[in-house]
Parts: sequence; C-alpha cells; structure tokens
Amino acid sequence: MEHEQGTWFNFLYRPPFSMPEWVPPAIPLAILALLLIAFFSYFAMRPRRRIPTGPQNAMEGIVEWLNGLARQLLGDRGPHFVPFLGTFFLYIWVMNLMGLIPGFVSPTANLNVTLGLAIIVFLVVQYFGVRENGLLGYLRHFTGDIWWLVPLIFPIHVVGELTRPVTLAMRLFGNVMGGETVIMVLAGLSPILFAHRFGAGYVIGLPIPVALPMILLEIFTGTVQALVFTLLAAAYLAGVMEHQEATT
Amino acid sequence: MLYLLGLALAVGFGVAIAALGGSLGQGRAVASAVEAIARQPEATGNIRTLLIIGLAFIESLTIYALVLAFLLLGKLPDPIGNINELVRYLGR
Repeated sequence: MEHEQGTWFNFLYRPPFSMPEWVPPAIPLAILALLLIAFFSYFAMRPRRRIPTGPQNAMEGIVEWLNGLARQLLGDRGPHFVPFLGTFFLYIWVMNLMGLIPGFVSPTANLNVTLGLAIIVFLVVQYFGVRENGLLGYLRHFTGDIWWLVPLIFPIHVVGELTRPVTLAMRLFGNVMGGETVIMVLAGLSPILFAHRFGAGYVIGLPIPVALPMILLEIFTGTVQALVFTLLAAAYLAGVMEHQEATT
Repeated sequence: MLYLLGLALAVGFGVAIAALGGSLGQGRAVASAVEAIARQPEATGNIRTLLIIGLAFIESLTIYALVLAFLLLGKLPDPIGNINELVRYLGR
C-alpha cells in the first residue's frame, strides 16, 4: 500500500513550499476540511434572519438534530456537549466525503488522523470522569459490584477502557480506507474490462464508470461512520457521567 | 518460504472468514428489524435508525480483520522481483 498519492496538494511538496516527504497529504486536506466548515458556517449566518432560509436553515437543522441527539443520550447535560459532539460529527463527515471528489483523499483514510480523534475522545472522557466523580469515584467505575472479584474485574475493565479509542480509530479508518481501496481498484479495472482487440492491437472500449455504485455506497458509509463515532463518543461520556437519565 | 505461505494464506482467508461471521450476524439483525417493522409499522423510523447503527457495529468487527489484512499485505515480498530465488527454490 506504499504508493504515491496524487492530490491537488501535490504542489506543496515542491519549491517554494517544499513540504517534507513524510507529511502525508491528509494534513493539508484535514486543514481544508476545517476551513470549509468554518467558512460555510460563518457565511451561512451572515444575513441572520429571524425566519431561516437557505444555508442558515440547513445549519440550524443540523444543530437542532445534534441537540436532540445529545439530550437523548446525555440527559439534561446534553446541550453542554453539543459543540464537542457536533464538531466530531461535522468534521468526520466532511473528511469522509472529501475522498470521493476526484483529486482529493479522505484524511480519515490515514490511521493517524482517526487515532488522533479517538485519543481526544479518550482524554475528554477520562477528564470528565474524574471531574464528575472525583478520582476515587472514577476508579470505582472499574471495580464492578462484587467486592471479592475486584482483582479479576479491575484489569478486565481497564483493558476494555483502553481498547475503546483503538476500536474507534480502527472502525473509522477501516471503513474509509476499505471503501477508497475498492473504488481505486474498480476505477483501475474499467479500462481492462472494456478493452477489445481491434486489428493488431487492443483498443480501450467504453469507459463505463464501474466505480459509481461503490462511490454511492461510500457516501452512505461515510455518513454512517461519522454518526457512529459521534454516538459512541456520547455513549462513553454518558457512561462516566453518573445517572443522568435519558429523557426518552 | 513456509512463513510466506502462511502469511499469504492468512491475508487471503482472514477477511473472508471474518466476513462470514459478520454477514451471519447482520442477516439476523436485519431479519429481526424487518419483523419488528412488520409488527408495528409506526415505529419504522426508530427501528431504521437502530438497524443502521447496529449494522455499523457488526460491520466494524469485519473491518478490524480488513485492517489486519492491510497490515499483513505490506509484509508480503514482491514475487516478480524475487523470481530468481523462487526458481532456485522450486528447482531444488
């Protein structure tokens, strides 16, 4: 899987920018995703109307949906976490969909990007666990309820907690990377599939886009994986925040 | 050489066996979701959301095997470049 990726950002590797070779194209693309979301949000709200229309309506709809989701999973403390969860959802969604545009690569197809996001979730969940329950209460979470099984249960829970960011990262990375690989293979396959013998040599036949169904599936998968990441982050938060019962 | 044989088989069969288990699980999930919708059509929205999320979780287990296959694929040597060693081994 070690091949050069050709994106619109290849000019950064040459002078005058001379970005070093070990910087993957995922980094400028991730920054682009960030800027896209920021500028779209800013300019959507510029003529701020009472009755929302157009982009403002779309953004308000998304925020309302996120609000409902946070309230459903985290109870009354939900809306406090909407910026956190909403950022994850929008950022991962835009990054996943970016790979489907020719000349772009999904930054989430790089394990480092997904691992970075998962580590942030992990750190925030631990911090809130300690802040809500105190250090002893937080450790109490790992002990379970049967006191004489604690030496057995404690390591199991700790390992389970440590695998959560790993599974978060691998789920997102595997889905996006797998989709992109299949699209790449199918796109490379279509000239071979439709070449036919013409006189002395071969001629490329109709360039039928056989990768199109996979691209449509990848749109769906990218959205679902962004949602799953956000839901899991919210569920982990709800797990350490005590007893805020859901309102549904 | 046996190590490379094992590696190649693992890369090939790993995802296939993981997909076997994953597809069985997903089939059961979809079956019960469809049955639930048939029983109570007004809950279709909730059930559809739950179904999609559940399928994503089951699929992620197959994806773990795919990630491992990616990792192992990088460790397989290039057969065309090593054709001399290959011919020498087969002729022995």
